Amino acid sequence: MQISISQQDHVTIVAVAGSIDALTADTLVTALLDEVAAGRTRLVAHFGAVEYTSSAGLRVLLSTLKEARQRGGDLRIADIRPNVRQVLELSGFTSILKCFADVDSAVASFANMGGNK
Amino acid sequence: MSRAGNGIALVIGSGGVKCAAAIGLQRCLARESINIDLVVGCSGGSIYAAAIALGKNAEEAAALSTALWTRDVTAQPDRAALMRMLFPKLLGFTERFGLKKDHVVWERLMTAFGELTFADCKIPLFITATDFRTGEQVTISEGRIADAVRASIAIPFAFAPWEVNGRLCIDGFLSDPLPVGVAIREGAQVIIAMGFESPYQERVTSGGRFAFQLSSIMTNNLLKASFAFHGLAHHSEVIAVIPQFSQRIRLFDTGKIPLLIDEGDAAMGEQLPYLRRLLAAVPA
Repeated sequence: MQISISQQDHVTIVAVAGSIDALTADTLVTALLDEVAAGRTRLVAHFGAVEYTSSAGLRVLLSTLKEARQRGGDLRIADIRPNVRQVLELSGFTSILKCFADVDSAVASFANMGGNK
Repeated sequence: MSRAGNGIALVIGSGGVKCAAAIGLQRCLARESINIDLVVGCSGGSIYAAAIALGKNAEEAAALSTALWTRDVTAQPDRAALMRMLFPKLLGFTERFGLKKDHVVWERLMTAFGELTFADCKIPLFITATDFRTGEQVTISEGRIADAVRASIAIPFAFAPWEVNGRLCIDGFLSDPLPVGVAIREGAQVIIAMGFESPYQERVTSGGRFAFQLSSIMTNNLLKASFAFHGLAHHSEVIAVIPQFSQRIRLFDTGKIPLLIDEGDAAMGEQLPYLRRLLAAVPA
Protein backbone atom coordinates (compact mmCIF):
# COMPACT_ATOMS: atom_id res chain seq x y z
CA MET A 1 0.00 0.00 0.00
CA GLN A 2 1.24 3.50 -0.84
CA ILE A 3 0.06 6.72 0.81
CA SER A 4 0.65 10.25 -0.41
CA ILE A 5 -0.60 13.36 1.33
CA SER A 6 -1.21 16.78 -0.20
CA GLN A 7 -3.18 19.93 0.54
CA GLN A 8 -5.82 21.66 -1.59
CA ASP A 9 -7.96 24.59 -0.41
CA HIS A 10 -7.36 23.85 3.29
CA VAL A 11 -8.33 20.24 2.78
CA THR A 12 -5.92 17.35 3.26
CA ILE A 13 -6.01 14.78 0.48
CA VAL A 14 -4.80 11.33 1.41
CA ALA A 15 -4.27 9.32 -1.76
CA VAL A 16 -4.12 5.61 -1.11
CA ALA A 17 -3.02 2.91 -3.54
CA GLY A 18 -3.18 -0.84 -3.14
CA SER A 19 -5.00 -2.92 -0.57
CA ILE A 20 -6.41 -1.70 2.75
CA ASP A 21 -6.51 -4.78 4.92
CA ALA A 22 -5.26 -6.35 8.13
CA LEU A 23 -1.67 -6.20 6.85
CA THR A 24 -1.72 -2.50 5.96
CA ALA A 25 -4.37 -1.02 8.25
CA ASP A 26 -1.95 0.10 10.96
CA THR A 27 0.11 2.13 8.48
CA LEU A 28 -2.94 3.89 7.10
CA VAL A 29 -4.61 4.62 10.41
CA THR A 30 -1.35 6.09 11.73
CA ALA A 31 -1.07 8.36 8.70
CA LEU A 32 -4.67 9.51 8.94
CA LEU A 33 -4.73 10.05 12.68
CA ASP A 34 -1.43 11.93 12.53
CA GLU A 35 -3.11 14.39 10.18
CA VAL A 36 -6.09 14.76 12.51
CA ALA A 37 -3.82 15.20 15.55
CA ALA A 38 -1.98 17.95 13.70
CA GLY A 39 -5.27 19.81 13.31
CA ARG A 40 -5.86 18.87 9.70
CA THR A 41 -9.32 17.47 10.26
CA ARG A 42 -10.82 18.05 6.83
CA LEU A 43 -9.78 14.94 5.02
CA VAL A 44 -10.47 13.50 1.60
CA ALA A 45 -9.42 9.91 1.08
CA HIS A 46 -8.68 9.47 -2.62
CA PHE A 47 -9.56 5.83 -3.29
CA GLY A 48 -9.05 5.78 -7.07
CA ALA A 49 -6.11 3.38 -6.72
CA VAL A 50 -7.50 1.33 -3.84
CA GLU A 51 -7.90 -2.17 -5.22
CA TYR A 52 -9.35 -3.86 -2.17
CA THR A 53 -10.63 -3.17 1.30
CA SER A 54 -11.46 -5.65 4.02
CA SER A 55 -13.13 -5.36 7.41
CA ALA A 56 -9.80 -4.16 8.84
CA GLY A 57 -9.83 -1.35 6.27
CA LEU A 58 -13.33 -0.38 7.28
CA ARG A 59 -12.27 -0.12 10.90
CA VAL A 60 -9.56 2.36 9.82
CA LEU A 61 -12.15 4.52 8.09
CA LEU A 62 -14.47 4.42 11.08
CA SER A 63 -11.85 5.37 13.66
CA THR A 64 -10.59 8.22 11.48
CA LEU A 65 -14.12 9.40 10.78
CA LYS A 66 -15.01 9.53 14.47
CA GLU A 67 -11.78 11.29 15.42
CA ALA A 68 -12.10 13.88 12.65
CA ARG A 69 -15.74 14.63 13.44
CA GLN A 70 -15.05 14.93 17.17
CA ARG A 71 -12.61 17.71 16.25
CA GLY A 72 -15.06 19.48 13.97
CA GLY A 73 -13.84 18.04 10.71
CA ASP A 74 -14.82 15.17 8.48
CA LEU A 75 -13.48 12.32 6.36
CA ARG A 76 -14.89 12.12 2.85
CA ILE A 77 -14.08 9.61 0.16
CA ALA A 78 -13.57 10.20 -3.53
CA ASP A 79 -13.23 8.11 -6.67
CA ILE A 80 -14.19 4.69 -5.36
CA ARG A 81 -13.80 1.61 -7.55
CA PRO A 82 -16.93 -0.55 -7.96
CA ASN A 83 -15.61 -3.52 -5.98
CA VAL A 84 -14.61 -1.28 -3.07
CA ARG A 85 -17.93 0.58 -3.25
CA GLN A 86 -19.72 -2.77 -3.00
CA VAL A 87 -17.96 -3.48 0.32
CA LEU A 88 -18.71 0.03 1.60
CA GLU A 89 -22.38 -0.35 0.66
CA LEU A 90 -22.73 -3.83 2.11
CA SER A 91 -21.29 -2.69 5.40
CA GLY A 92 -23.42 0.44 5.60
CA PHE A 93 -20.54 2.90 5.24
CA THR A 94 -22.14 4.76 2.37
CA SER A 95 -24.89 5.77 4.80
CA ILE A 96 -22.48 7.41 7.26
CA LEU A 97 -19.73 8.66 4.93
CA LYS A 98 -20.01 11.24 2.19
CA CYS A 99 -18.74 9.78 -1.07
CA PHE A 100 -17.86 11.74 -4.22
CA ALA A 101 -17.12 10.89 -7.82
CA ASP A 102 -13.80 12.77 -7.80
CA VAL A 103 -11.37 14.59 -5.53
CA ASP A 104 -12.32 18.10 -6.69
CA SER A 105 -15.98 17.52 -5.78
CA ALA A 106 -14.99 16.14 -2.39
CA VAL A 107 -12.72 19.12 -1.68
CA ALA A 108 -15.40 21.56 -2.85
CA SER A 109 -17.94 19.97 -0.51
CA PHE A 110 -16.01 21.34 2.47
CA ALA A 111 -16.63 24.92 1.30
CA ASN A 112 -19.90 25.16 3.22
CA MET A 113 -18.47 23.66 6.37
CA GLY A 114 -17.63 26.00 9.22
CA GLY A 115 -15.28 25.44 12.15
CA ASN A 116 -11.76 24.07 12.11
CA LYS A 117 -9.71 23.35 9.06
CA MET B 1 -2.36 -11.46 14.38
CA SER B 2 -2.24 -15.03 15.59
CA ARG B 3 -4.23 -17.93 14.18
CA ALA B 4 -4.77 -19.47 17.54
CA GLY B 5 -8.24 -20.86 18.16
CA ASN B 6 -10.42 -21.85 15.29
CA GLY B 7 -8.35 -20.41 12.44
CA ILE B 8 -10.37 -20.03 9.26
CA ALA B 9 -14.17 -20.11 9.34
CA LEU B 10 -16.50 -20.24 6.37
CA VAL B 11 -19.95 -18.70 6.76
CA ILE B 12 -22.52 -19.41 4.05
CA GLY B 13 -25.56 -17.18 4.19
CA SER B 14 -29.12 -17.58 2.98
CA GLY B 15 -29.91 -17.35 -0.71
CA GLY B 16 -31.88 -20.34 -1.98
CA VAL B 17 -30.27 -22.08 -4.90
CA LYS B 18 -27.70 -19.29 -5.17
CA CYS B 19 -25.99 -20.87 -2.18
CA ALA B 20 -24.65 -23.49 -4.60
CA ALA B 21 -21.99 -20.86 -5.32
CA ALA B 22 -20.45 -22.11 -2.08
CA ILE B 23 -19.47 -25.27 -3.96
CA GLY B 24 -17.36 -23.10 -6.25
CA LEU B 25 -15.85 -21.35 -3.26
CA GLN B 26 -15.04 -24.75 -1.76
CA ARG B 27 -13.49 -25.86 -5.06
CA CYS B 28 -11.37 -22.70 -5.21
CA LEU B 29 -10.06 -23.16 -1.65
CA ALA B 30 -9.34 -26.86 -2.25
CA ARG B 31 -7.32 -25.98 -5.35
CA GLU B 32 -5.25 -23.66 -3.18
CA SER B 33 -4.96 -26.25 -0.37
CA ILE B 34 -6.59 -23.82 2.07
CA ASN B 35 -8.42 -25.75 4.76
CA ILE B 36 -11.50 -24.55 6.60
CA ASP B 37 -11.51 -25.10 10.37
CA LEU B 38 -15.21 -24.55 11.03
CA VAL B 39 -18.29 -23.85 8.95
CA VAL B 40 -21.53 -22.00 9.61
CA GLY B 41 -24.62 -22.20 7.41
CA CYS B 42 -27.94 -20.41 7.28
CA SER B 43 -31.05 -21.40 5.33
CA GLY B 44 -30.01 -22.59 1.84
CA GLY B 45 -26.41 -22.15 2.96
CA SER B 46 -26.92 -24.78 5.65
CA ILE B 47 -27.07 -27.53 3.01
CA TYR B 48 -23.61 -26.67 1.69
CA ALA B 49 -22.18 -26.00 5.13
CA ALA B 50 -23.29 -29.50 6.15
CA ALA B 51 -21.84 -31.04 2.99
CA ILE B 52 -18.48 -29.35 3.59
CA ALA B 53 -18.43 -30.28 7.27
CA LEU B 54 -19.16 -33.91 6.39
CA GLY B 55 -16.14 -33.93 4.11
CA LYS B 56 -17.95 -34.05 0.78
CA ASN B 57 -15.87 -32.67 -2.07
CA ALA B 58 -17.18 -30.15 -4.60
CA GLU B 59 -18.38 -32.84 -7.03
CA GLU B 60 -20.28 -34.67 -4.30
CA ALA B 61 -21.79 -31.43 -3.03
CA ALA B 62 -22.92 -30.53 -6.55
CA ALA B 63 -24.58 -33.93 -6.98
CA LEU B 64 -26.31 -33.56 -3.61
CA SER B 65 -27.50 -30.09 -4.56
CA THR B 66 -28.95 -31.17 -7.89
CA ALA B 67 -30.80 -34.12 -6.32
CA LEU B 68 -32.14 -32.14 -3.37
CA TRP B 69 -33.08 -28.79 -4.77
CA THR B 70 -35.74 -29.30 -7.44
CA ARG B 71 -38.97 -27.49 -8.19
CA ASP B 72 -41.16 -30.32 -6.90
CA VAL B 73 -39.87 -29.57 -3.39
CA THR B 74 -42.45 -26.78 -3.26
CA ALA B 75 -44.84 -28.02 -5.94
CA GLN B 76 -47.55 -29.44 -3.69
CA PRO B 77 -49.79 -26.85 -2.02
CA ASP B 78 -51.20 -27.67 1.38
CA ARG B 79 -54.85 -26.79 0.76
CA ALA B 80 -55.85 -27.64 4.30
CA ALA B 81 -53.36 -25.06 5.56
CA LEU B 82 -54.81 -22.51 3.16
CA MET B 83 -58.30 -23.22 4.46
CA ARG B 84 -57.10 -22.88 8.05
CA MET B 85 -55.59 -19.51 7.13
CA LEU B 86 -58.87 -18.35 5.58
CA PHE B 87 -61.09 -19.71 8.38
CA PRO B 88 -58.81 -19.76 11.43
CA LYS B 89 -61.49 -19.93 14.10
CA LEU B 90 -63.57 -22.50 12.31
CA LEU B 91 -60.74 -24.87 11.34
CA GLY B 92 -58.14 -24.06 13.99
CA PHE B 93 -55.03 -22.16 12.90
CA THR B 94 -51.71 -23.14 14.52
CA GLU B 95 -48.19 -21.77 14.49
CA ARG B 96 -47.05 -24.82 12.52
CA PHE B 97 -48.28 -23.15 9.36
CA GLY B 98 -46.97 -23.54 5.83
CA LEU B 99 -48.71 -23.31 2.47
CA LYS B 100 -46.60 -26.08 0.93
CA LYS B 101 -46.53 -29.72 1.89
CA ASP B 102 -43.10 -30.51 3.22
CA HIS B 103 -42.86 -34.28 2.89
CA VAL B 104 -40.83 -34.05 -0.35
CA VAL B 105 -38.22 -31.73 1.11
CA TRP B 106 -38.02 -33.89 4.23
CA GLU B 107 -37.54 -37.05 2.16
CA ARG B 108 -34.80 -35.31 0.18
CA LEU B 109 -33.04 -34.21 3.36
CA MET B 110 -33.22 -37.71 4.76
CA THR B 111 -31.81 -39.09 1.51
CA ALA B 112 -28.98 -36.56 1.65
CA PHE B 113 -28.14 -36.71 5.34
CA GLY B 114 -30.08 -39.67 6.77
CA GLU B 115 -29.32 -40.24 10.42
CA LEU B 116 -26.00 -38.37 10.30
CA THR B 117 -25.48 -36.08 13.26
CA PHE B 118 -23.20 -33.16 13.99
CA ALA B 119 -20.90 -35.64 15.72
CA ASP B 120 -20.23 -37.23 12.30
CA CYS B 121 -18.74 -34.03 10.89
CA LYS B 122 -15.04 -33.77 10.05
CA ILE B 123 -14.94 -30.13 11.17
CA PRO B 124 -17.27 -28.24 13.54
CA LEU B 125 -20.60 -27.36 11.94
CA PHE B 126 -23.07 -24.74 13.12
CA ILE B 127 -26.48 -24.25 11.50
CA THR B 128 -28.62 -21.25 12.33
CA ALA B 129 -32.38 -20.97 12.49
CA THR B 130 -34.74 -18.54 14.20
CA ASP B 131 -36.88 -19.20 17.26
CA PHE B 132 -40.42 -18.69 15.99
CA ARG B 133 -41.74 -17.63 19.39
CA THR B 134 -39.01 -15.22 20.46
CA GLY B 135 -37.25 -14.22 17.22
CA GLU B 136 -33.87 -15.17 18.69
CA GLN B 137 -31.19 -16.71 16.57
CA VAL B 138 -30.87 -20.44 17.30
CA THR B 139 -27.46 -22.00 16.70
CA ILE B 140 -27.75 -25.74 16.22
CA SER B 141 -24.64 -27.84 16.75
CA GLU B 142 -25.95 -31.17 17.93
CA GLY B 143 -28.52 -33.73 16.89
CA ARG B 144 -29.54 -34.87 13.43
CA ILE B 145 -28.24 -32.70 10.59
CA ALA B 146 -31.43 -33.23 8.56
CA ASP B 147 -33.49 -31.71 11.39
CA ALA B 148 -31.18 -28.69 11.62
CA VAL B 149 -31.26 -28.05 7.87
CA ARG B 150 -35.04 -28.49 7.77
CA ALA B 151 -35.41 -25.90 10.53
CA SER B 152 -32.97 -23.53 8.85
CA ILE B 153 -34.86 -23.66 5.52
CA ALA B 154 -38.34 -23.27 7.01
CA ILE B 155 -39.21 -20.52 4.53
CA PRO B 156 -41.99 -18.38 6.03
CA PHE B 157 -45.44 -19.10 4.57
CA ALA B 158 -44.02 -21.97 2.46
CA PHE B 159 -42.77 -24.54 4.96
CA ALA B 160 -44.06 -24.97 8.49
CA PRO B 161 -41.68 -24.18 11.36
CA TRP B 162 -39.73 -27.22 12.58
CA GLU B 163 -38.97 -28.24 16.13
CA VAL B 164 -35.33 -28.82 17.06
CA ASN B 165 -34.06 -29.49 20.56
CA GLY B 166 -37.35 -28.30 22.04
CA ARG B 167 -37.50 -25.01 20.13
CA LEU B 168 -39.88 -24.28 17.29
CA CYS B 169 -37.67 -22.87 14.55
CA ILE B 170 -38.23 -20.96 11.35
CA ASP B 171 -35.82 -19.94 8.59
CA GLY B 172 -32.45 -18.67 9.79
CA PHE B 173 -32.49 -15.63 7.50
CA LEU B 174 -35.11 -14.00 9.71
CA SER B 175 -32.59 -13.48 12.51
CA ASP B 176 -29.41 -13.04 10.42
CA PRO B 177 -29.03 -13.84 6.71
CA LEU B 178 -25.23 -14.07 7.09
CA PRO B 179 -24.46 -15.28 10.62
CA VAL B 180 -20.85 -14.12 10.93
CA GLY B 181 -21.43 -13.64 14.65
CA VAL B 182 -21.48 -17.39 15.21
CA ALA B 183 -17.97 -17.71 13.76
CA ILE B 184 -16.76 -14.80 15.89
CA ARG B 185 -18.25 -16.37 19.01
CA GLU B 186 -16.56 -19.68 18.21
CA GLY B 187 -13.17 -17.98 18.14
CA ALA B 188 -12.50 -17.84 14.42
CA GLN B 189 -9.71 -15.56 13.28
CA VAL B 190 -10.12 -15.21 9.52
CA ILE B 191 -13.77 -15.42 8.48
CA ILE B 192 -14.73 -15.97 4.85
CA ALA B 193 -18.35 -14.87 4.54
CA MET B 194 -20.30 -15.76 1.40
CA GLY B 195 -23.58 -13.87 1.33
CA PHE B 196 -26.32 -13.16 -1.15
CA GLU B 197 -28.67 -10.25 -1.53
CA SER B 198 -32.29 -11.21 -2.07
CA PRO B 199 -33.57 -10.31 -5.55
CA TYR B 200 -36.22 -7.66 -5.95
CA GLN B 201 -39.30 -8.43 -8.03
CA GLU B 202 -39.22 -7.21 -11.61
CA ARG B 203 -43.00 -6.71 -11.43
CA VAL B 204 -45.32 -6.96 -8.44
CA THR B 205 -48.41 -8.60 -9.91
CA SER B 206 -49.72 -10.70 -7.03
CA GLY B 207 -49.99 -10.86 -3.27
CA GLY B 208 -47.24 -13.45 -3.23
CA ARG B 209 -44.84 -11.23 -5.15
CA PHE B 210 -45.75 -8.32 -2.90
CA ALA B 211 -44.81 -10.45 0.12
CA PHE B 212 -41.55 -11.55 -1.55
CA GLN B 213 -40.71 -7.91 -2.25
CA LEU B 214 -41.25 -6.95 1.38
CA SER B 215 -39.18 -9.93 2.47
CA SER B 216 -36.31 -8.91 0.17
CA ILE B 217 -36.34 -5.33 1.44
CA MET B 218 -36.19 -6.44 5.07
CA THR B 219 -33.67 -9.22 4.47
CA ASN B 220 -31.25 -7.06 2.51
CA ASN B 221 -31.34 -4.32 5.12
CA LEU B 222 -30.84 -6.87 7.90
CA LEU B 223 -27.93 -8.37 5.95
CA LYS B 224 -26.21 -4.99 5.69
CA ALA B 225 -26.84 -3.99 9.29
CA SER B 226 -25.66 -7.29 10.67
CA PHE B 227 -22.62 -7.51 8.40
CA ALA B 228 -21.61 -3.95 9.30
CA PHE B 229 -21.78 -4.69 13.00
CA HIS B 230 -19.85 -7.95 12.78
CA GLY B 231 -17.20 -6.50 10.47
CA LEU B 232 -16.50 -3.71 12.92
CA ALA B 233 -16.81 -5.90 16.02
CA HIS B 234 -14.44 -8.66 14.91
CA HIS B 235 -10.87 -8.23 16.11
CA SER B 236 -9.45 -9.91 13.04
CA GLU B 237 -10.58 -10.20 9.45
CA VAL B 238 -13.91 -10.80 7.73
CA ILE B 239 -13.51 -11.39 4.01
CA ALA B 240 -16.79 -10.84 2.19
CA VAL B 241 -17.44 -12.97 -0.87
CA ILE B 242 -20.57 -11.63 -2.55
CA PRO B 243 -20.99 -13.13 -6.02
CA GLN B 244 -22.45 -10.81 -8.63
CA PHE B 245 -24.25 -13.25 -10.88
CA SER B 246 -24.27 -12.54 -14.59
CA GLN B 247 -27.84 -13.83 -14.85
CA ARG B 248 -30.94 -13.39 -12.72
CA ILE B 249 -31.25 -16.41 -10.44
CA ARG B 250 -34.64 -17.47 -9.13
CA LEU B 251 -35.26 -19.63 -6.09
CA PHE B 252 -35.41 -22.93 -7.97
CA ASP B 253 -33.17 -22.28 -10.98
CA THR B 254 -31.44 -25.60 -10.44
CA GLY B 255 -30.45 -25.74 -14.10
CA LYS B 256 -28.09 -22.87 -13.33
CA ILE B 257 -26.18 -24.71 -10.61
CA PRO B 258 -23.08 -25.21 -12.86
CA LEU B 259 -23.09 -21.45 -13.56
CA LEU B 260 -23.50 -20.70 -9.85
CA ILE B 261 -20.57 -22.95 -8.98
CA ASP B 262 -18.33 -21.27 -11.56
CA GLU B 263 -19.31 -17.80 -10.37
CA GLY B 264 -18.74 -18.77 -6.73
CA ASP B 265 -15.30 -20.05 -7.71
CA ALA B 266 -14.57 -16.77 -9.51
CA ALA B 267 -15.81 -14.64 -6.60
CA MET B 268 -13.55 -16.50 -4.18
CA GLY B 269 -10.73 -16.22 -6.70
CA GLU B 270 -10.97 -12.43 -6.51
CA GLN B 271 -10.28 -12.60 -2.78
CA LEU B 272 -7.41 -15.09 -3.06
CA PRO B 273 -4.49 -12.68 -3.49
CA TYR B 274 -5.27 -11.06 -0.17
CA LEU B 275 -6.15 -14.32 1.56
CA ARG B 276 -2.82 -15.81 0.47
CA ARG B 277 -0.89 -12.78 1.75
CA LEU B 278 -2.85 -12.82 4.99
CA LEU B 279 -2.24 -16.50 5.65
CA ALA B 280 1.43 -16.18 4.71
CA ALA B 281 1.84 -13.40 7.24
CA VAL B 282 0.09 -15.25 10.00
CA PRO B 283 1.65 -18.34 11.58
CA ALA B 284 -0.69 -21.32 11.67
